[in-house]
Amino acid sequence: MSVSSVFIAKERLKTLLVSDRIQCTPDSVERLTNDLYHTVSKYMEIDQKDLNIEITRNDIHIRYTGEKN
Amino acid sequence: MGEVIVITSGKGGVGKTTTTANIGIGLSGLEKKVMVIDTDLGLRNLDVVMGLENRIVYNIVDVVEGNCRLKQALIKDKRFPELYLLPSAQTRDKSSVSPEQMKKLIDDIREDYDFILLDCPAGIEQGFQNAIAGADRSIIVTTPEVSAIRDADRIIGLLETAGIRKNELIINRLRVDMVKRGDMMSVEDVTEILAIDLLGVIPDDEQVVIATNQGEPVTGEECPAGRAYTDICRRLLGEEVPMEDFMKPDGILERISSLFHRSQGV
Repeated sequence: MSVSSVFIAKERLKTLLVSDRIQCTPDSVERLTNDLYHTVSKYMEIDQKDLNIEITRNDIHIRYTGEKN
Repeated sequence: MGEVIVITSGKGGVGKTTTTANIGIGLSGLEKKVMVIDTDLGLRNLDVVMGLENRIVYNIVDVVEGNCRLKQALIKDKRFPELYLLPSAQTRDKSSVSPEQMKKLIDDIREDYDFILLDCPAGIEQGFQNAIAGADRSIIVTTPEVSAIRDADRIIGLLETAGIRKNELIINRLRVDMVKRGDMMSVEDVTEILAIDLLGVIPDDEQVVIATNQGEPVTGEECPAGRAYTDICRRLLGEEVPMEDFMKPDGILERISSLFHRSQGV
């Protein structure tokens, strides 16, 4: 089955809005996310998939979802 | 003390002017004293949507430049109890009014009205800065499309930067049939992406086109968009009006008939 056009629209918007919000290219968002991961991992042992980075209009949220018991 | 609301969107053609006219008319029908101001200098439209284009003598630039008194430029819409239009100028450019002049104009009149609605031009340049200069809060109009939502997000950021904290969303021209088959973003999709409070949803309704052709409102009319605008006006007055659940019944006929029965019951 083909992907719904809404799914594509939402994916495109996510990328667009993040780069609009911090005024840089989608590529820099990717690099920023990686750099943030590397910075955090200097001080603590983390898995990249546990580090969730969300860019909103006013904040950058870095959420660590590791340490599951 | 009146509340000053700017109606804005970033992108053009999403329904700012129609929304301004219909909310202004709706609030006036709910016994509020309302002034609607067209701030789109050079591209006057609000008067046409309201069917008042033949009554314009002076405009907002004349008021700001002191060529006339405010009272002379105001057009009273005789069809409604207390509704006034301050038209824009068709022959001037964006720089004819400054944000400071706009703010002063609004400060001078806000005591006299319950609501002042500012119809903002498209874009983020001086016209936008003028329109938001005197506003307490905003209504952001968007349609469920990538470009309109992107612009809305940008506008919300600019409003927040300008210190306007109360920003609410209207999703215009929602096509329930397309949402159901996964070809249009839903109300939830849009509100989740933009992360601001939802003021209302206007379903796509050909009555809006028909009414606009005639220079008449849809607010108060027995059609889906008319009811949606009335709900929005009541919410603006602080009433708790539940959001219409467009996705509930299956068939469109069923939906229309259930809406019809519900509205008859009120």
